[in-house]
Amino acid sequence: MSPLLWFTALAHSHLGRVMQTSKWGFAIVETVHLLALAILGGAVLVVDLRLLGVVLKRESTRTIGRDLSRLLLGSLVLMILSGIAMLSEETLKCYYSPAFRWKMVLLAAAVLFYFTLHRRALLNIDRGEPTLWARAAAVISLSLWLGVGVAGRAIGLL
Amino acid sequence: MKARISILLAGAITISAVPAHAHHSFAAEFDGTKPVRLVGKITQVEWTNPHSYFYVDVTDAKGVTTNWGCEGAGPGALSRRGWKKGDLKLGDTIVVDGYRAKDGSHLIDARRVTFPDGRTVYGGSPGDGGPGDNGTDKGNLPGTGTPATK
Amino acid sequence: MPLLQHLCQLLYDSHVGTAIRESDYAFSIIESVHVLGITALVGTIALLDLRMLGLILRPISITRLARTVFPLTWSGLAVMFVSGFLLFWAEAAKNYSNPAFRVKLILLALVGLNPLIFHTTIYRRVHEWEVLAISPWRARAAAIASLTLWSGIIIAGRAIAYF
Repeated sequence: MSPLLWFTALAHSHLGRVMQTSKWGFAIVETVHLLALAILGGAVLVVDLRLLGVVLKRESTRTIGRDLSRLLLGSLVLMILSGIAMLSEETLKCYYSPAFRWKMVLLAAAVLFYFTLHRRALLNIDRGEPTLWARAAAVISLSLWLGVGVAGRAIGLL
Repeated sequence: MKARISILLAGAITISAVPAHAHHSFAAEFDGTKPVRLVGKITQVEWTNPHSYFYVDVTDAKGVTTNWGCEGAGPGALSRRGWKKGDLKLGDTIVVDGYRAKDGSHLIDARRVTFPDGRTVYGGSPGDGGPGDNGTDKGNLPGTGTPATK
Repeated sequence: MPLLQHLCQLLYDSHVGTAIRESDYAFSIIESVHVLGITALVGTIALLDLRMLGLILRPISITRLARTVFPLTWSGLAVMFVSGFLLFWAEAAKNYSNPAFRVKLILLALVGLNPLIFHTTIYRRVHEWEVLAISPWRARAAAIASLTLWSGIIIAGRAIAYF
């Protein structure tokens, strides 16, 4: 299905109709998005600062990565679900929005990077000194997630 | 289907102060099925973040004047669409196309403004999900019928 | 007009307040910093709260995690305070009568009181319990209060736009 068709289908879906007519729906869903953002951001920040060797220096990156990955993925799922709900309220606006498109690209990149190279860096370092590659992975991760956040803000401002 | 407010308001006598609600979704506050066209004299302009507001005195066929509020995007978004702060001058007569507030107050979400010199600009708040939200006056919420047209 | 309201009106009408409020970019940027800054302020302290509840990072002692988290949280607070004050400066007169804003301020006062109580009581003896997987009930109470109050502050902050 072409993207435009998918977006239109979402607009016409039950979720879409509820969100488009609800007085408080968008506010509630957006608040969930914000609360989950706080947790996601905190987890990303501490994990990547550990990879940079700035905090929790002698602690195992595997332990930190494993525990915080549960937080990160849990909050990410909440953000995606609330994000879809918000999208269904304004699908065509988002479809045409360069900020939205950027956000989706950066989000895909951040998630992909997280599950591949970032995870490998966490497993490899463990209690050792951060390597150049680990630090690079941390910087890339922080940049991608920050980009997702900034693009998200831009959706409502452009 | 839009109707000229001057006809609809025949008999209305109130000059009402418009509550300046802010919102972050079109549906929370405005009704996509109630497109409206206002023709009136500008009485007040608030060129502010997060939303701009301008107020117009609309006189109906019976000579009754009502003050309406029009909500628009913030200054940044408006300037990217070709508005400048001084474009809305007190006393000018403008045409505003928009959608009525759900609570029935004299407030509209201003989608398009036509200036005295004939220039038109799109005034909707970005990201609010309202009709025409892709920056051109196309695009539609399903079930709202035709977008606001001249 | 009450004195406080008068002060808010002065801030609102001031050159700086007006400039931010009518700006093309400044307000949007300041507001974005404020929203994204939630991660640095709330996201970090939430990790310590969750640790005390025994939900994450059990192998790491409370004091070790606290030493990591506190500088981040304080930095986040600095960012949030500056950006928040600038937003307030631009909207002061409107904020004065906004119930959501008032609730947010009250909750902010409470969320500042919580660690004050925590640090002068149960945390004084942290070396007795810092390696426990789950912290003592007084610490857990403080953690739950923290998570609840911060959530309330975020919700109230979002609600400002609706009043």
